[in-house]
Amino acid sequence: MRNWGDLIGSLLFALAGIGIVAESLRLKVGKLTDPQPGFFPFVSGVVLIVLSLVLLAYRWSNPPNEVRSPGNFRGPAILIVGMAVYVGILDSAGYILSTVFIGTLILRVLGIRSWRVLGGVGIGLSVGTYLLFSRLLGIELPPGILTFLG
Amino acid sequence: MDFFGNLLQGFGVALSPSHLFFAFAGAMIGTAIGVLPGLGTPTTIALLLPVTYKMEPTSAVIMLAGIFYGAMYGGSTTSILLNIPGEAASVVTCLDGYRMARIGRAGPALGISALGSFIAGSIAVLGMSVVAPTLAQFALKFGPAEYSALILLGLMMAVYLSEGSVLKGLLMLTLGIALGTIGIDPVLGVPRFTFGIPRLMDGLDYIAAGMGLLGIGEVLVNLETPEVRSVYRTSLRGVLPTVEDWRRCWGPILRGSVIGFFIGVLPGGGATISSFVAYAAEKRISRHPENFGKGVIEGVAAPEAANNAGSTSSFIPLLTLGIPGNASTAMIYVALMIHGIQPGPLLMQEHPHLFWGVIASMYVGNAMLLTLNLPLIGFWVRLLKVPYSFLAVFIVTICIVGAYSLKNAAFDVGVMMVFGVLGYFFRKGGFPAAPMILSMILGPMLERSLQQALKMSAGDLWIFAEKPISAALLLITAIVMLIPVPKWLWKRYRSRPRAERPQDEGGME
Repeated sequence: MRNWGDLIGSLLFALAGIGIVAESLRLKVGKLTDPQPGFFPFVSGVVLIVLSLVLLAYRWSNPPNEVRSPGNFRGPAILIVGMAVYVGILDSAGYILSTVFIGTLILRVLGIRSWRVLGGVGIGLSVGTYLLFSRLLGIELPPGILTFLG
Repeated sequence: MDFFGNLLQGFGVALSPSHLFFAFAGAMIGTAIGVLPGLGTPTTIALLLPVTYKMEPTSAVIMLAGIFYGAMYGGSTTSILLNIPGEAASVVTCLDGYRMARIGRAGPALGISALGSFIAGSIAVLGMSVVAPTLAQFALKFGPAEYSALILLGLMMAVYLSEGSVLKGLLMLTLGIALGTIGIDPVLGVPRFTFGIPRLMDGLDYIAAGMGLLGIGEVLVNLETPEVRSVYRTSLRGVLPTVEDWRRCWGPILRGSVIGFFIGVLPGGGATISSFVAYAAEKRISRHPENFGKGVIEGVAAPEAANNAGSTSSFIPLLTLGIPGNASTAMIYVALMIHGIQPGPLLMQEHPHLFWGVIASMYVGNAMLLTLNLPLIGFWVRLLKVPYSFLAVFIVTICIVGAYSLKNAAFDVGVMMVFGVLGYFFRKGGFPAAPMILSMILGPMLERSLQQALKMSAGDLWIFAEKPISAALLLITAIVMLIPVPKWLWKRYRSRPRAERPQDEGGME
């Protein structure tokens, strides 16, 4: 049975290596006596390509007896989208509102259905951590639209 | 000042009320995260870095070190009572610890684990007090060639001693080195891989990357299958081991301490590998190896002693050579750098308060953990009832605060989340994160040292071979790299007559 995860993974690593080598060449590689900015990344890029190809060849010729099931991507996919939204709204909406959003989302994905719990934990944790870090420990967090907090 | 004078000075620092508080806080947080599966030590240290920004550096390191060795104490609780290791270093404790719980001996298992950890931790701290100054003195002779060789060895050891496939570890290591080159070139000042993004000029923040890879990655994996935990209901009376238990355990504890200490000192070594080696050694020398895995107390005492000794002694390469050997000490390295302190051979001379204060705080912290943990076992067990959903929200929130506080910018939160997604896929594919984090930190150091060495020799690679320390380190690195080859060849040879059979997983990996 083919382990497509390893095969795809090694191809992605090889692609990353090709990208690194290409950019290193643009930066100029130089030589041992006169290494240029691209020298070190160039070497790491080449090693990355070689290792990826070794993994690819090894996995192709030695498929494992068992392949782990790919798992249920639904929960992680929702959180990944949620995190992208979070980064987009953090500065404008502020820490508290954005964190209520992401906290509620995680709880929901993990099967919490009660809106009271969702709201309570989401709001409690975001306000609590805001007070702890911003007020007590002096870490600056974006107030966003709740500017009166800033 | 002599050894005892230095240590006395360290105790003066460690026993001040504020440092006692931070040692206590670190030890308690460490025990809690050791108890709770799903929140590893490096993640917790990374998460708490922002808290240390306004602290005095010695207090910060005392607290972070407390988290590290405290987690070793806590990790055994879940292994014994739930068969779920709270820490990777406690995996092997499950084998006999959980069995002991099943036959009504959870109390002595927890007791010997705490007492063994205390004894081993104390032995390791004593060893550290003796070895660290000597090693620091020796490391003063290191030039760029020796440092390049040492970093290379550290990185290779990190790969070979980390869990999972060596090949995948090497891939992660190389990718980490490449990612470490993002930003302004240290010699010529040319921006590399910044793609016109000004925030990348300073390079990728490895704290944000580490929090994403370890913290967010873990949460994403756990979102796939919400876990169900059940604590095995058993008597927790009689946590103090009997005379017979002691008679059987003093040897394993001492051997575990020595094994853990020496493995912890190795670059890339640490608690996890120490516990496995100690367990294997104990099983090998036992008169009844067949009983291992069926609930023998030696199977708990040896690995628990070893993981504590290993976690303590892994501070030696960090404090004396400036080379973090694992992800946890890498995060403490970052904490020191944030405070403008360069770990390495000069640390002991330039910051003796910090150096000896941290060592002395480990004595104090170990004593605190022993006196607090045994009476508090019931509390730690109750902590396990916190639903994972709440813990997950807490981890993500703390990661967000930690990443944002680095430069007060949502950009670093984005970096953390991108690395979180990468960490999820890496974990799914069995690509270990620790070598990547280490190489992101050590990669720029390696590049600088290599360039300096090559400048000194006008590009002649012979410089690495003509210096005895560098040559010896490179030889060890080559041996480490070649270790899997005979194993792979042997497997191939053995598989030949049975070619029709599907081959084993692993092999060259």
